[in-house]
Amino acid sequence: MAFSSMTFLFGFLPAVLLCYFVIPARFRAARNFVLLAFSLVFYCWGGMALLPVFLASCLLNWGAALLVDKVKSHRKAVYVTALVLNVTMLGYYKYTGFLLGNLNALGLDVAVPSIALPAGISFFTFQAIAYLTDVYRGIVRAERNPARVVLFMALFPQLLQGPILRWNDFGPALTERQETAAEAAEGAVRFCCGLAKKVLLADALGQAADAAFSAGDRLTVTLAWLGAIAYTLQLYFDFSGYTDMAIGLGRVLGFRIPENFNYPYIAKSASEFWRRWHMTLSYWFRDYVYIPLGGNRCARGRQVGNLLVVWMLTGLWHGSAWNFVLWGLYYALLLMGEKFLWGKRLQKLPAAVQHGYAMVLIIIGWVLFRATSLQLVGDMISAMFGFAPAGFHGMETEYYLRQFAWEWAVAIPAALPVKNWMQGKLSAKAEGGCGVCRWTLELGPKVLAVVLLGCSAVRLLSSTFRSFLYFQF
Amino acid sequence: MKRFFDRAFLAGLLAVLVAVPLGVALWSHKETSAYYENRTLAAKPEVTAESLWNGSFGSDFESWFSDHVPGRTTLLKIDTAVQMKLLQRPVVNDIVLDADGVLVPKMSYSEYSRKAYEETVPPIAENFGKLNDHVEENGGKFYFVGFPEQRVYFEDRFPDYMNNHETEAAVADEVFMTALENAGVHALDMRQVYAEQGNPAEYYSVVDHHYNYYGAYAGYRAIMEALAEDGWGLPVLTEDEIGFAELPNPYIGSRNRKLYNLWENEEKAAILAETPVPFTRTDNGRPSEKPLFVVPAQEDLPTTYNLYMGGDFGETVLETNRPELPDVLIFGDSFTNALETLLYASFDETRILDLRHYTEQSLKDYITEHKPDIVLCVMNDTFYYTTTGNGAVWED
Repeated sequence: MAFSSMTFLFGFLPAVLLCYFVIPARFRAARNFVLLAFSLVFYCWGGMALLPVFLASCLLNWGAALLVDKVKSHRKAVYVTALVLNVTMLGYYKYTGFLLGNLNALGLDVAVPSIALPAGISFFTFQAIAYLTDVYRGIVRAERNPARVVLFMALFPQLLQGPILRWNDFGPALTERQETAAEAAEGAVRFCCGLAKKVLLADALGQAADAAFSAGDRLTVTLAWLGAIAYTLQLYFDFSGYTDMAIGLGRVLGFRIPENFNYPYIAKSASEFWRRWHMTLSYWFRDYVYIPLGGNRCARGRQVGNLLVVWMLTGLWHGSAWNFVLWGLYYALLLMGEKFLWGKRLQKLPAAVQHGYAMVLIIIGWVLFRATSLQLVGDMISAMFGFAPAGFHGMETEYYLRQFAWEWAVAIPAALPVKNWMQGKLSAKAEGGCGVCRWTLELGPKVLAVVLLGCSAVRLLSSTFRSFLYFQF
Repeated sequence: MKRFFDRAFLAGLLAVLVAVPLGVALWSHKETSAYYENRTLAAKPEVTAESLWNGSFGSDFESWFSDHVPGRTTLLKIDTAVQMKLLQRPVVNDIVLDADGVLVPKMSYSEYSRKAYEETVPPIAENFGKLNDHVEENGGKFYFVGFPEQRVYFEDRFPDYMNNHETEAAVADEVFMTALENAGVHALDMRQVYAEQGNPAEYYSVVDHHYNYYGAYAGYRAIMEALAEDGWGLPVLTEDEIGFAELPNPYIGSRNRKLYNLWENEEKAAILAETPVPFTRTDNGRPSEKPLFVVPAQEDLPTTYNLYMGGDFGETVLETNRPELPDVLIFGDSFTNALETLLYASFDETRILDLRHYTEQSLKDYITEHKPDIVLCVMNDTFYYTTTGNGAVWED
């Protein structure tokens, strides 16, 4: 079930809120049970056929963590076995088709089975591996109650697209969290803003991106750039919109779900971009792959190898196709370049040049990410740099600029920390005694949230259902 | 105070979230179709083990739930108004608003090549050729009349950043008409006829994909001239004999319908002031009292192109009891409707088939049974390459 569906907004959400809050806060276990039951319904909405895989993963990791925690002998063997099973499960569902397809391309005649990908498998598997590893490392104790582990992996606000939770944050919240009206109001505002990001901005800009990436012989230089920039904005508003909704829902329910984005497009380098984009995934790879491999504390050759491994895995995590591998390696090269070659010189350049450098590289990176084939990657990038089949400019670019003029005008400042800047200014004035500023700070976000919810719901009514981009990962 | 606002905000939000599903539960059964969207609303899905297992219940439920939100039409109308008037988008609900005073559809930027049309047309032309031979074997004469669709007629009105498919439409029409002529079919290209008359703007609707009644009359005269050139001595309704009357009712065209009729215009539907020749009518085999023009009872009620002949029927027969005149069979798309109100006056018996709805027998068998003197196929050029519905002219 997608957050941006009428069923979720006006069916599932009021039902879960009513059932949850009708139970007094002191009955924490009952509230957790409501969350668990609704989270499983949320997951099953796309088909109950997906449920057995998900529950198997939950039970495997619950049992393995208990064994790792309680059994002194062979704990490493249990940990490694569970880890291998997790990776095998992910590999089977996500990469079998890719692997066999490549074998066929090499001349082997292998039948490629049609395997349905369980939604959110990349997210819940990584969350489970983090839990298991933290138990193995002694950072957290294993949870005895299987229902709590299932809730950890199934919590509906973050089940399908993250952010990736850690048990040491989530476990205590199961018993100690407090739901307050202030937190819930802030969460609701954030949810509505996230919904608007997805429905009003990402979906509209996605039309321009789709047009450019499917233009073929009609591709012009300006359309290629327009499409690449549109996709850059679409992906950000789509994914960060989902994250805002997840964090907002978490706050309504008393959970503190970690931030995933910190205005990534103000980055001045590729390295900084990855400290601001999908942060919970970056931290996951840092903590569970990069550092165990040796991280920075090894010879330069080993560091290069570690970076290549991490970024190839990052690419593959996003999708089972060569363009994702290429995208991962592209960032590996950029990060190595910034680390070992031009990073210090880059920092001495004017800030505007650094931003320009980072944005061009990020946009090119998203072209690799979005393209459905290596051929399309080549077509798009060569068009962006002047070798477009239909010349420099055409009517299609102009149409998408005119048709989505409002979205362009809103999206660019919305991707920058303009909101923080305005809030800062208003807060300073409010502290200086400005009554209007105080009221604006208090009521402005709520009024805006209601308006955005209304506009988003009407947009949803008038458009066909569109899934979030990160569902596929 | 903050606490009060927080609670009031949350209570209001929750009330909205709860009110919508309650409204769906209470009123979802009341509407089954969406007039402005021209479609049937989704039906409530049944819960089955299979649909729950494969997830189809979830997607079907979403369709039903979205379709039955209380006030849906009003909300969508408001949204359309905001897109049109506040946000000033050049295209709303796939209709181009910036097209020099007419509503035209937003067209794709991709086009089919001449080669693609040339590869597609042979079997289509072959079928028309077979139909032509069959009509002649049954003592009749077959004519094809092709009209430009409104967006083709007004192709020069598109803004320069929209693709009007001008070249493609010209190529497609030319390839089709040439193929018909090569197959021995007598084809009349109304696009050329209108062009020779200077493509008068008043021939086509600015809010609908059809011509208007003046365009239909010009088409009728061109058809009658073509028949006269072929030796048919048929009575013709001249402008001196007939008078046009414009209905006072607001006219909802198919383009403006997609905009919830929010695009302001003064267009009115025209009809004949008087019925030129008395007739009896049969629709789908049953006697019908329907007139040539089905006009709303009140002047403030809207009317549509369906006023001509009362819309589409599988089979309509008009008898004028003038055995000295030949019989005609007309089939084709909705462009026939307005023409029928004029053409019938020149024949003894007028049979009209809409092959999308007529399923009793094939067109071939129908011709064998009724042996019409003249068979007219009327089609707009966006349907030339369609092989279903009224494009399914021959079954071996």
